[in-house]
Amino acid sequence: MIAVDVTLDRGRFNLHAQFAAGAGITGVFGPSGAGKSTLLHLLCGLLRPTRGRIAIGETVVVDTAARVFVPTHRRRVAVVFQDGRLLPHRSVTGNLRYGERLLSAAERRIAFTDVVELLRLAPLLTQPVAKLSGGERQRVALGRALLSAPRLLCLDEPLSAVDHDLRDGILPYLRLVQNALKIPMLYVSHDLSEVLALTDRMVLLNAGRVAGAGALIELAAQPALVPMLHALGLVNVLAADAQDDALTLSDSVVLHGPAGGAQGRVTVLIAPQEVALATAPVAGVSIRNQVPGCISAITATRERTLVTVDIGVPLLAEVSSEAVTRLGLACGQLVWCLVKAQALRVLGT
Amino acid sequence: MTPDEFAALTLSLKVAAASLALLAIPGVFLGWLLARRDFPGKTALDVLVHLPLVLPPVVTGWLLLRCFGRRGWLGAWLHDTLGISLAFNWKGAALAAAVMALPLLVRAVRLAIALVDRGLEEAAATCGANPWRVFITVTIPLAAPGLIAGFVLAFARSLGEFGATITFAGNIPDQTRTLPVAIFAYTQLPDGDAAVSRLAIASVVLAVLALVASEWLTRRWQRRLGSAS
Repeated sequence: MIAVDVTLDRGRFNLHAQFAAGAGITGVFGPSGAGKSTLLHLLCGLLRPTRGRIAIGETVVVDTAARVFVPTHRRRVAVVFQDGRLLPHRSVTGNLRYGERLLSAAERRIAFTDVVELLRLAPLLTQPVAKLSGGERQRVALGRALLSAPRLLCLDEPLSAVDHDLRDGILPYLRLVQNALKIPMLYVSHDLSEVLALTDRMVLLNAGRVAGAGALIELAAQPALVPMLHALGLVNVLAADAQDDALTLSDSVVLHGPAGGAQGRVTVLIAPQEVALATAPVAGVSIRNQVPGCISAITATRERTLVTVDIGVPLLAEVSSEAVTRLGLACGQLVWCLVKAQALRVLGT
Repeated sequence: MTPDEFAALTLSLKVAAASLALLAIPGVFLGWLLARRDFPGKTALDVLVHLPLVLPPVVTGWLLLRCFGRRGWLGAWLHDTLGISLAFNWKGAALAAAVMALPLLVRAVRLAIALVDRGLEEAAATCGANPWRVFITVTIPLAAPGLIAGFVLAFARSLGEFGATITFAGNIPDQTRTLPVAIFAYTQLPDGDAAVSRLAIASVVLAVLALVASEWLTRRWQRRLGSAS
């Protein structure tokens, strides 16, 4: 549990952030310049707030009123930085063990061999840091952070320096880490699809303020947040069981799409603008997925309308305001969601 | 080489080594302070450290004499309480060399430390390293090539120091007659030419050795930085 209520005045830029985040992964999310990295620096103690208080679990790490400031090295807030920040004069092993060495035996909650196994680092251990690829660097940085036995793990856009193709190969590691070690994580990103592949709990930052905090589906129901979410790449994230090209969301809901050979638990991403709505099942159409559901919310802004349809799980569809009027869409109405098989993006775990 | 010339050579090495020992910690500390910290009086400190570089060495020597001489305010205290006398002995020559070499060392250290990526220092801190450990395990190793260059420069300066040494420590065989002082003394003698050339050659050889050693150390270190295993 993290409780944050801080203000930082720095002339041109000032940040005021107040939110609470629970165990598990929380996305900290917003356009560039919103104050995401500043917030993270405040959390790990590289910056002092002008006013405010931060508590991580039971420990108050900053409280300006009580003159409490725990310095970075005693906070146990580990950070995976954008560029990895591996120490160039140390080997991969030397980097991994850098923080671990500073802990007493009792504080070492995570074993070196477990981290190596979890992040598949064994082939890298003897390699020089300079020869690692972007994705490998970030895995080593993640391993180093974990071995310092943090109370909170912050990830500062850890994938922005990694090729897009490699991303889907790193996100599963983060989920593995979360499942295996249960360390609270803050995942800072400006790319919503990246965050949503990990969690639907998020803090939305904009211009140094918390614009919203909570589950994505709640945030998407707030008209004021929709343009921002949209600009940042709003996407439906659904958990499914894959078997060949059948993706089972729940007992009765099955989508079809290219699973790319993935089997078992997968994450399915669908952009809201790829979901069309019909008031009745459509015959004689190439679109393979037709899923019935009840409209649970309609969020209209000037440019677009987001319709939340309960198909067993909430699914966001983006339609024009004109279509809402023409079809007479209203809350509680039964509609069919039409999704092309090609519009599904499947991430393995 | 005559025993006298050889004595000048060994004395020079001894003085230069003592000067480096005297300089190492304050030099690195001042370089770090000037590179990484902001504090009131930083400019004044910067100027003070650099003064020996721009003042005529004779003036520096005279100032040292006023401070550390037997009647100087610090010198009198040192002599009365600790029984240490600095003027006109080899310790004074080492002090003069250290003061003259300090700006060169501080400049090199400051530049080397300023070039170390602060991001790496921050990353080390988030791993749980306290500021001292960050300095020892991140800043110093990454600044090492620049530090080595600074120490070689300071060593060479200490070997060659003349003006401040002769003013503060004088020209006493086996005590303060270092290589340059000896060379100067021999040039004043009608038949000193041969001795001067031998000492000059010794100076060149020492300088070349110092440069080669620094190059070797720097390369070795950079290879380690490039491909640590």
